Amino acid sequence: MDTNGLQPKSTARPAPLVAAATLLSSRNVYGLIWVDQSLYVTATYGPLVNFVDIGEPMTSSVPVFVGLESEILQLKESHGALLDLPIASIVTAAGATPKLNFTALWSFEEDAFLILVSRAGQVSNVELELSRQIRARLIAEAEVTHKSKALTKANIELERANRDLEEFASIVSHDLKAPMRQLRYMIEDLRSGAEGGDSAPLPIKTLKGLHDVQCQSQRMSEMLTSLLEYCSAGRKDEVAGIVDTEALVSAIVRSTPRPAGFSIQTTGLWPQIETLQAPLDLILRNLIDNAIKHHDSDQGSIRLACADAGDKLEIEIEDDGPGIDPRHHVAVFLPFRQINTGERAKIGHGMGLAFVKRWVEAAGGQIRLQSNPAEVRGTCVQITWPKLLIS
Amino acid sequence: MSARKVMLLGEIGVGKSSTVQRLVFNRFEFDYKPTIGVDVYRYEIPATAERAHTSLIVWDTDGNFGDTIFKHVYMKEAAAAMIIGDLSRPQTLETMVNLANGFRDALPGRHVSLLLNKSDLVRSPDAVEMPAGFDRLKIVPKFTSAKSGQNVETAFVEAAEAIERRGH
Repeated sequence: MDTNGLQPKSTARPAPLVAAATLLSSRNVYGLIWVDQSLYVTATYGPLVNFVDIGEPMTSSVPVFVGLESEILQLKESHGALLDLPIASIVTAAGATPKLNFTALWSFEEDAFLILVSRAGQVSNVELELSRQIRARLIAEAEVTHKSKALTKANIELERANRDLEEFASIVSHDLKAPMRQLRYMIEDLRSGAEGGDSAPLPIKTLKGLHDVQCQSQRMSEMLTSLLEYCSAGRKDEVAGIVDTEALVSAIVRSTPRPAGFSIQTTGLWPQIETLQAPLDLILRNLIDNAIKHHDSDQGSIRLACADAGDKLEIEIEDDGPGIDPRHHVAVFLPFRQINTGERAKIGHGMGLAFVKRWVEAAGGQIRLQSNPAEVRGTCVQITWPKLLIS
Repeated sequence: MSARKVMLLGEIGVGKSSTVQRLVFNRFEFDYKPTIGVDVYRYEIPATAERAHTSLIVWDTDGNFGDTIFKHVYMKEAAAAMIIGDLSRPQTLETMVNLANGFRDALPGRHVSLLLNKSDLVRSPDAVEMPAGFDRLKIVPKFTSAKSGQNVETAFVEAAEAIERRGH
């Protein structure tokens, strides 16, 4: 048996313990290093510490103790004190030691420091794979946490930007209303002065120009009012309640003014749900009103349908009007956009569908258009209305 | 000859072991082997006209230590910390700031290097946004790649020179 060094010095030790220690040493379970008071290695015991050079400073071969020299020297001052360095492997260009535990102590009997080196439990392939997977999971979790934080931050910034934009539009539209009103009054004064004979009559062309300016300023005032309403849409602190959608839609159909040639039918199942009544009412009224206003005939048919789709309602408002070219399906939902030309362009300010979209989305729903006049007349507006309101 | 203890710190998987293995063995292993406990490497920096021979004792720590590393006996008398982050994982750069501040609190006056590793995985390393607090560290970071070897040796040599200048 290669003990590679010193034999135990004390004959007083029980033989079985020496035999056991010798056996453990030969099996690379532990090794011993003797270090003098200058921290030079004077002897080693056991093949586990073969990497240690005798006669050299301890820290040359056992660099885990670099920086801990004063701690080791202090061991001499307190009987029984230990310095433990658990689970370290020493790696040099020549190779790596196994994972080792190092324990330093002062041996009064031998007047030297003793470093007990013991082999740390070997890591099996299964443990290594487990460790690898745990680390991969930790990395993935950290990634998710980071991305979630970034998303939250982006959402907060987006909300703030939207709020700022809405406030800006609200302030601007509010502040512009007063000078617009002044402008209208001035034009009215000018016109009534000219028509009342207080001064020389104005040329017909000038009077017509004043009339046009008055109409346009009136239109701009109305647009500013719409913009103000649009900015506040979906922000009202209404409390959700139980709404009988069948009763709601019946009331809307009964009270909506329409030409004699127009019919409105309701089909499907309109259930009772907990929701905000006012926006749903406004949405349906606006869409029916739109279908009538933008129809190109005195006669028409509008169909309102509803289907219960679990946690949401699928609502359709379909007409047999001229339809909307797919090229305009996005633009029609933007504020102040009108796709009509000619006389029909003068109907409203192009805010109807913009309002509807805003209300639907504020409630957590979605809105889509189905229409392609090149193939078939009519427009179908599809609304997904959540039964559970988003906060 | 003086031996100086240098701590490699950074979050799990940023390339601490790959960096020190590139330094000591000039190799890169594609197979990821997690560090269990601590691996202690010795790296010799030869003397030149400007500097003495230095042995760097590089402690490659298990990334799981987190902030607790600063209370561990391992940290005793460390002359410097090489703090590594992964340029392709922004949260590891945030951890770098915490580790740098923690190291400075634990061992005031010791040298700290910041290594932005895996620069080979990022199209424009310079364009990567650094987290809050990074600038306040007032340390010019080094873009490194353990895979290609970019700046790895330079970073350690500069750290050794900085340790020499500081005298501890």
